[in-house]
Amino acid sequence: MKKKNLRRTAFTAAVIILIITCFLAPYAWVVSSSLKNQFTVFGDVSPLSWRAFFPVGATIENYVTLFQRTNILIALLNTAIVAVAQVALTLLLCSMAAYALTRIKFPGASVVFLLILLTFLLPIEAMMVPLYQVVSGLGLSNTLLGIIIPWIASPFGLFLLKQAFEELPVELEDAARIDGAGHVRIFFSIVLPNVKVPMVTLGLITFLFCWNSFLWPLVIVQDPARQVIQVAVAQQGSLTQLPNWGETFAGATVATLPLILLFLVLQKYFTQGMATSGIKG
Amino acid sequence: MSTGEQTLTASAVTKVRPRKAATRRQKRERLVAAGFLAPFMLLLLIFQYVPLLVMARNSFYDYSLLNPAAEKFVGLRNFADMIEYEDAATSFGITFLFALGVVLFVIPVAFALALFLNSKLPARGLVRTMIMLPVVTSSVVVATMWSFLLDPSNGLINGALDAVGLARQPFLTSTGQALAALVAMTLWQQVGFGAILFLAGLQGVPAELSEAARIDGATRRQVLWNITIPLLSRTTLFVVVIMTVFSLQAFAPAFLMTQGGPQESTNLIVYHIYNTAFIMQQAGYASALSVVLLLVVLAISMIQMALLRSRWNY
Repeated sequence: MKKKNLRRTAFTAAVIILIITCFLAPYAWVVSSSLKNQFTVFGDVSPLSWRAFFPVGATIENYVTLFQRTNILIALLNTAIVAVAQVALTLLLCSMAAYALTRIKFPGASVVFLLILLTFLLPIEAMMVPLYQVVSGLGLSNTLLGIIIPWIASPFGLFLLKQAFEELPVELEDAARIDGAGHVRIFFSIVLPNVKVPMVTLGLITFLFCWNSFLWPLVIVQDPARQVIQVAVAQQGSLTQLPNWGETFAGATVATLPLILLFLVLQKYFTQGMATSGIKG
Repeated sequence: MSTGEQTLTASAVTKVRPRKAATRRQKRERLVAAGFLAPFMLLLLIFQYVPLLVMARNSFYDYSLLNPAAEKFVGLRNFADMIEYEDAATSFGITFLFALGVVLFVIPVAFALALFLNSKLPARGLVRTMIMLPVVTSSVVVATMWSFLLDPSNGLINGALDAVGLARQPFLTSTGQALAALVAMTLWQQVGFGAILFLAGLQGVPAELSEAARIDGATRRQVLWNITIPLLSRTTLFVVVIMTVFSLQAFAPAFLMTQGGPQESTNLIVYHIYNTAFIMQQAGYASALSVVLLLVVLAISMIQMALLRSRWNY
């Protein structure tokens, strides 16, 4: 029995080490290499040495040239603006619509709900050509608004919030209603303060989706001054025939670090939201 | 039949009276509801339904995005071209193969990871965080990272192969290996997401069931095959559909790592649509390709809904 336990423990430890190696090693290599010059990056890989995963003899040169040579700072700023705006507008529009669907009786509610439900089935990436025509037809190509406007009315967000609103007991509002409060006041002062967790979850997933989006910003924005971070990283890697590995890795690190930090701090909300919805950015 | 109609009119009559009395209040309620819903529904109609109609219409036209006004109605020619030329069949075939590969590998690995995470484990939180890192990393960064990992001369993976005495591999520059390499990358990227979904499913399985079976003398393996896996069939279906739909829409790997090559061996359909519309400026043909992709994804979602609704439910 003891021997079996020992074997189990050894097996478990081996699996844990294998998992951590598979998932952490690429990140360690990329971040470490972003702090080295090209010659050292190549030298540490062939023949492979432990130094490949640690920033031995670190230099921030790649980061300096990255910020000097490319528009990555503007791209970061654009992405931050776009992501915050998309989160705020998504939360507002989805919560308002969820309130109407769960708290107000009106004819045609089922038709409205069906219209929203059907959009769940539409594959976004398959629609980029007509979407490009609609958005540029509205004069929104090459604008930050054009990047976010198709995604604000998120059916996923509506469902997440609708579910939370339904679970909220109606009795909460009864007192306010007797006092003569209207829907607007009930919405802002009673319903919203009681659905903080789903709101945070939706906000985070929207932020993740927006920060990582690539195809749509690539299509709708050509102006380098309106570029977002993912497009900047993608173009940086392919601009030159012989890319500077360290600098490309520095770009990838800059584009990823804010999200990873956010994820580490608020992991619970991320994981819960993804597990319940089955949707990610 | 007639009694049914009678009760219907009777109930309608009883309902009409209070409704009349409350007309004014109801009108105001409707107005408020419209106000709350209008911004959402307006954007939904403009950015989901209008593009759908535009796409359907444009698939019958020949035009370019640079000069959309100079369009020409061509009837079903775009669809006929899809059958006549090989590009569509090749691209859809490659995309299905890619999706199949992703699903075949993600499902068992994600399930095994979930089982592992569901057991008593030291550093469980750490392992869960690790496998979720690629999920929150953008597809651009993952693709960039992997194109360097897989580099034939200076890549980390070839360095590791060298170190253990195996032959170096061309990976992305080989027609035989490129698509497999993209499947491996996607497995790495998506397996954590699948594992989290399976883990949520596992935690919904009542512990009494497997405990009772164990008391009755079932082995661990029997419990796994006869209780846990059947109970998770809905979760599995869910993960299969999500991974399929996700893979059918993959774009960044083809765009960043292979440009669809070598010899079109990784020409995934969304990348093909992007190229056709924005590079080759054949937006009509791209719309027709999009219509087919949309129908394929819709069909998969429908099958999922039908299966989830059926009696196949434990």
